[in-house]
Order: sequence, then C-alpha cells, then structure tokens
Amino acid sequence: RDEGAATSSRTHLVAEFKAALERKVVDLAELRRLACQGVPDDPAVRPVVWKQLLLGYLPMDHALWAYELEKKRSQYSAFKDELLVNPSEVTRRMEMTISKRKEHNSEGTGFLPRAEIVQDEHPLSLGKTSVWNQHFQESETVEQIDRDVKRTHPEMQFFNGGSSDALSNQESLKRILTIFAKLNPGIRYVQGMNEVLAPLYYVFKNDPDQSNSASAESDAFFCFVEVLSGFRDNFCKQLDNSVVGIRSTISKLSQLLKRHDEELWRHLEV
Amino acid sequence: MASRRRTLLKVIILGDSGVGKTSLMNQYVNKKFSNQYKATIGADFLTKEVQFEDRLFTLQIWDTAGQERFQSLGVAFYRGADCCVLVYDVNSMKSFDNLNNWREEFLIQASPSDPDNFPFVLLGNKVDVDGGNSRVVSEKKAKAWCASKGNIPYFETSAKDGINVEEAFQCIVKNALKNEPEEELYMPDTVDVVGGNRGQGSSGCC
Repeated sequence: RDEGAATSSRTHLVAEFKAALERKVVDLAELRRLACQGVPDDPAVRPVVWKQLLLGYLPMDHALWAYELEKKRSQYSAFKDELLVNPSEVTRRMEMTISKRKEHNSEGTGFLPRAEIVQDEHPLSLGKTSVWNQHFQESETVEQIDRDVKRTHPEMQFFNGGSSDALSNQESLKRILTIFAKLNPGIRYVQGMNEVLAPLYYVFKNDPDQSNSASAESDAFFCFVEVLSGFRDNFCKQLDNSVVGIRSTISKLSQLLKRHDEELWRHLEV
Repeated sequence: MASRRRTLLKVIILGDSGVGKTSLMNQYVNKKFSNQYKATIGADFLTKEVQFEDRLFTLQIWDTAGQERFQSLGVAFYRGADCCVLVYDVNSMKSFDNLNNWREEFLIQASPSDPDNFPFVLLGNKVDVDGGNSRVVSEKKAKAWCASKGNIPYFETSAKDGINVEEAFQCIVKNALKNEPEEELYMPDTVDVVGGNRGQGSSGCC
C-alpha cells in the first residue's frame, strides 16, 4: 500500500513537472521549487530540467529552444572539426593552402611551383607553437582520458561490455573531455571529471526525443562546462595556494566539519 | 604492560595512473581481481590483519590516485608511513621512468627521520599481459634501479593472476618493521596528558 502511495505521488510529481515545462515561458522559480525535492527519473522530464533549470543551457522561452540548440550543436561540431584533427591533417591543410597560393603567384612568372615544407610544422620541430609539439604534450592528457573513460561505470552495459553502443558512448565521453581539455589548457583533464560527465551524457542519451538523443554529446559538453564553471578554480593547479583554489576549499570544508562535529574533525586531523 | 608494541603498520602505494595499484591492493586483501575498478580519486585504504614472527599487526594500505594533479593536494596521509610501495607497469617505460619522481616526492612529503634508510619496495606489475610479449622494461633494468637506490627489494607481479602478490606483501610487512624504533619496545607506561584515547596507532617517536 505504501508502494502504491509512493507511485501515485511520483506520478503526481511528474505531472507537475510536465505542466511546468509546458508553459510557453518556463517559470524558473516554480521549476526550482519543484526540483528541490528531487527531479524524477522520467525520460521526458529529467533531461530537459537539467539542461534548462539547473544548467541554464536552455532558455526559459520555448520559442527560442530550437534556435539555441541548433546554434550550440553547430558550435560543438565546429569544435570537433577544429580541435580533434590530428597534426598530419593540420600540416596537410597548411601545405595545400600554400601550394595553392604558390600556383597562383607563379602564374606567368616562369617559375615552376615546388612543394615546400611548412616551416616548423614537422614531428621533429622544437618550436613551442608547432602543432606537433602541442600534439605530444596533449597526448599524455589524451591517454589519461582514454584510461579513465574505459573504467567509467564499468558495471553499466551502457558504458561498458563491448557492445557497439557502449563503444560509441565511450567515444563520445572521450571527445567531450578532450575538447574541454584543449579549450581549458590551465585545467586540462583531472581524474574524476569523467564521473561528473557520465550522468549528464547518460540522461541526455536516453531522452526519448530522437533529435535530442542524437545530440546528447554536444548537449552534455555544454552542460558539463556549466557544471564545472561553478568550481573550475579548484581544478587549476596555479590557483592551489590562492583563496579560490582547492586548498582553501578543503580548509573551508574542514572548518565546517569542526563546527558541526568536532570529534570527527579531530579524528581526521590527527 | 611493559612495552607499548606497535600494532599498526601503515603502507602507501604510489605509481603512475593505470599501473594497477588498486588491483594489487585488492588482490592481496580480498584475493580477487576485477576489470571493474574505477580510477582512484584522491586516496583510499584497506586494512588487513597479518601475522609476522608471532606478532599480530593491522596493515593499513593506502591506495592513491596516479594523476600528478593529486600529488600537491592530499598528501598528509603520507606522514607516518612505515613503508612505501612503488609500482610501475612492465609494459610502460614512462611508468618506470617516473619512479624517481614518485620516490623523491614521497621523501619530501612524508619527511621520514632517516630518508636514506626509509624502506621502499618496488613492484613491476602486469607481467601477465600479452604473455610477456609487450614488455618494455627488463628485469635487469628494474634491478639496476633498485640497486642504485640502496637495494630496494623488487618483485615482478601480476595482480590479475595473483602472481607474487602475497610474497611481495610479506616483504613489505618485513620492511615496514625494519625501522621500528628500538626504544619503543622499552617504553614504560605513560600518562596521557592530552586526555583523549588516541589509540595505539598514533604511538611513535615524535
């Protein structure tokens, strides 16, 4: 009987959420009030509430949703094109541009166009700005991401178990974390980010709306950035000893613990 | 009570990310291997009761995150360690090359009273992988490194197949006891002026 009561109150809660989300312009205060009791695990509710309310990814006005999503998703696609190409491809593209220009310049001058190595853009280059040098620095980060993505929620078929879906979901997590690391060179990738990202991606991928599910990767990327933006300074090594860094956060936590449970605090401090 | 014998031994496991620190600890404590370990965030520990030369000990094994980022943060638990276990993957040269960094970082953070004689044990893990065909660090090379650091004991292990894990930890216990201060055995009963019962684990020479 208790179970029946729980089910009916859950159904009621889902209905309340749906009503709140169907308003032409979502009332954020109302949605927040509902959400403070927990957002029900309903595929039509949780993804949109997370994207919108908690992370400000979706605007309040329904009329703007399609435009905003389109804009963000194409921006993510541009990030992928720009940041995930390998250095050989970058060099090849540069050479193509140069040889095109050469061909153009040599017209009518009598000089034969010849292939030219783009200065500093080869694997043995020592130049700091060389795409190859950056590549080698980044490869360590990429390896770390790879190791951790493979052991993200290993108990879930969704992420693990060797099915093609699981592999493709792992690839999505890897791309998101790699793009984030490249866009945030002061932070890069820190172990544990995979655990923050995984639930976002899981919920968005299981959205019954086909187009949302298909764009789970890009939506999860932007929402992940939103989640991290609240405490990104904690990840940044250069800020470790500043008032916004992780050490200061840990000592605030310790002070809170001391105030509320001094015995436990003393046990941990010794 | 004539002596206050130490019953807690604290061991810290260090090494690069993915070399198998968590797996080694779990193989030793729970006799199990799983492919399902998550990356260790910060640090974690397990305890095991062990007997050595008719004495009983609680071995407290601290497992740590391999990513360098975590080193500058929570290393308070390095302090008071009785032995430091360094782990590398015999299939990864980088994990071997980093051993110097791990060793030095430990000595700086833990600041033991006698750093030159502090007990380390080195484990070359994952010898099972690919039947040994993907191995890149030879036993000879590893032993040479150990010799250059004051004859660190060395074991080649497989946390997956349970090879040499028990033997390695026996040696770790033995070495953890090596620096047990002599005078501690003759320490008379003392009055605890602090008042709280700090437990036997915090007895020490400081």
